[in-house]
Amino acid sequence: MDHALTLDRVTKAFGEFRAVDEISLVVPRGTIYGFLGPNGAGKTTTIRMFMSILYPDSGTITVLGDPNPEAVKDRLGYLPEEKGLYKKMKAAELVSYFGRLKGMAANPANTRARQLLHRFDLGDWADKKCETLSKGMSQKVQILATLIHDPELVILDEPFSGLDPVNVEIVIELILELKRQGRTVIFSTHVMEQAEKLCDAILLINKGKKVLDGPLAAVKAGGPRTVIIDYDGDGGVFRGLPRVARVNDSGKHAELTLEDGASTQDLLRLLVDRIAIRRFDTREPSLHEIFVRAVGGKTHA
Amino acid sequence: MRKIWLVAQREFLENVRTKSFWIGILIFPLILTAAIVVPALLEKTRQARPFAVLDRSGWVLEAVREQVAAGAKRFVLVEPVLDAQSAAAEDTLNRRVRDEALFAYFIIGADPVRSSAGSEYRSKNLTDSDLRDWFGELVTNAVQARRLEQEQIDPAIAEWIREPVRFEARKVTGAGETEDVSAQDKLRQWAPLIFVYLLWVAVFTIAQMLLTNTVEEKSNRIIEVLLSSVSPVELMAGKITGIAQTGFAIIASWILAFFFITKYVPGLLGAPVGLDLTVLTRDPVYLASFVAYFLLGYLLFAAMLVGIGAVCNTLKEAQNLMGPITILLIIPLLAMLPIGRDPNGALAKVMSFIPPFTPFVMMNRAAGPPELWEYVATTALLIVSIGLALWAAAKVFRIGVLLTGKPPTLREILKWIRAPVGTVAVRKEPG
Repeated sequence: MDHALTLDRVTKAFGEFRAVDEISLVVPRGTIYGFLGPNGAGKTTTIRMFMSILYPDSGTITVLGDPNPEAVKDRLGYLPEEKGLYKKMKAAELVSYFGRLKGMAANPANTRARQLLHRFDLGDWADKKCETLSKGMSQKVQILATLIHDPELVILDEPFSGLDPVNVEIVIELILELKRQGRTVIFSTHVMEQAEKLCDAILLINKGKKVLDGPLAAVKAGGPRTVIIDYDGDGGVFRGLPRVARVNDSGKHAELTLEDGASTQDLLRLLVDRIAIRRFDTREPSLHEIFVRAVGGKTHA
Repeated sequence: MRKIWLVAQREFLENVRTKSFWIGILIFPLILTAAIVVPALLEKTRQARPFAVLDRSGWVLEAVREQVAAGAKRFVLVEPVLDAQSAAAEDTLNRRVRDEALFAYFIIGADPVRSSAGSEYRSKNLTDSDLRDWFGELVTNAVQARRLEQEQIDPAIAEWIREPVRFEARKVTGAGETEDVSAQDKLRQWAPLIFVYLLWVAVFTIAQMLLTNTVEEKSNRIIEVLLSSVSPVELMAGKITGIAQTGFAIIASWILAFFFITKYVPGLLGAPVGLDLTVLTRDPVYLASFVAYFLLGYLLFAAMLVGIGAVCNTLKEAQNLMGPITILLIIPLLAMLPIGRDPNGALAKVMSFIPPFTPFVMMNRAAGPPELWEYVATTALLIVSIGLALWAAAKVFRIGVLLTGKPPTLREILKWIRAPVGTVAVRKEPG
């Protein structure tokens, strides 16, 4: 039960179109979890369902151990992809307002809003109207408004879209800090490189259906792995090796496809005394390759 | 409830900070004060107008001299030393009128008792007829007196002959008795029109604030952040409440301004209070029904406009959808005069029972006044429609606010409203 989020065969259709089709997943507490998929895959619809903005047609959703996601809404922090600020409100007021909407009392919300703005170098802008902020500053204010009430589960929908590299770093740093504080972070993206760097676990979704999910290492391990070996010696040694599915030996260079779950450490141990190894390189498929293979190359990612 | 209140409070504060709110608060007292002060000031600053008379009869001017002297505040008789009979005198006076030394001059014909032949009024300004009317009446009286004398008719008899038949207006009261009609009563008869107009302006502008505000929130992309903290119904209720507070602040300021300005401003100017308009603000029927009908009318139109706002992404789209509602709102304005003239006629009665018109038409009929059962029945009908409209608006709002792209057609919106609760964004219990 100690999961931040559990979906069980959740389905949502808009008319004939099944935006989310029987998705099940588990997000353990304290992890960074990535929702990956091309645009229109159903990431945002899935998020909106456990944020109680949309309601599933069927299936169950358990958030922070509660089968009624609406009851724990105040313990979640959500930054949608489509986000904006009240232009005429002052930055501190705005952050504080969102804190109060999440159940904070007025005074603590005001104090905390100012603290947060100071910590993120926006102290000078606390009493400026939001319309005067630059795009990067607005993004920061939006994230602070999402975090002011110390949510246990933070959901960021495409948090990197439209950001320059400096701001991308700021957001990454923030996500990592949330993890250090023991919070759970779910973010969606169609940029695989970021997910690969940040995520403990991922869900890969395409056309509303789950392609695969699980811890990042397991997902990568689940793909067909290859080992590249440059060597001097007798190539006959590759024949009859355990747990190797296929060998392509070219005399000085060999490429081995391992069986599922086989350890490259064991392979290296078997080979190291029998041939002189100049290079031993495990190539786990990158998320990008897994993703492209899984969705049949129909993506521009 | 707490969240509804928070949303409402934010809306209210944001509106209070806008310029248009303060313009809305101030415009009415300013117009009202101006309407009282400006004519009074104009009257005060107007200088007495100099005029001259060429009396070719030789006796008329002497006959009215005393009365002319009494009117010296407004018109001053300048006595040129001229030979009244000479043509050169006219040239001299023409020049003086041209140079604005004189506002006008009169020529009294040689024998005014016989006919008006040769009597003239000459001025550069022929639109302002005050002087001509005033002096004309004095001369007419003098000439008529001379005619009576000449024909040896007793002036008392002449007066009696000229006496018109006057119908005295008496109002039939609720108790079936008659009472005298005072100026106050006439005011009461026509005051509802002023109230209907104010009510209309208030409902229209304030409900439109809600529309603009909803569309802006949508185009600002802030709706989804809000929806992660509040439910769509809470958000809608908060917005309607917040804008209602704004509206009440404006209306309350108008009523206070009306009371104080009509009571004190004429006094400050030293002018007598011609009509005590405060009787209207003291009359509970007008004030209470005005506030009640504002609230009910606002809620009905707020429900419609918040629904429209929710499905539109730009103000332009919203204005297109507003068209039918604007037409709906204009009808009670067109019917205002006929209903004011006949507050208990068939038109008035029928329109009272059409909910979007009820607040305006019933206010319009306040001088009638309508019977109690009509108040009860129309208000009940109105409240039921408000309930239905809010229920439909909530359904449209929860679907509409997350919609981007082309706004839905009216048919689609009706489909959302008719769709059973389960299929439209309402949770199905797990299992």
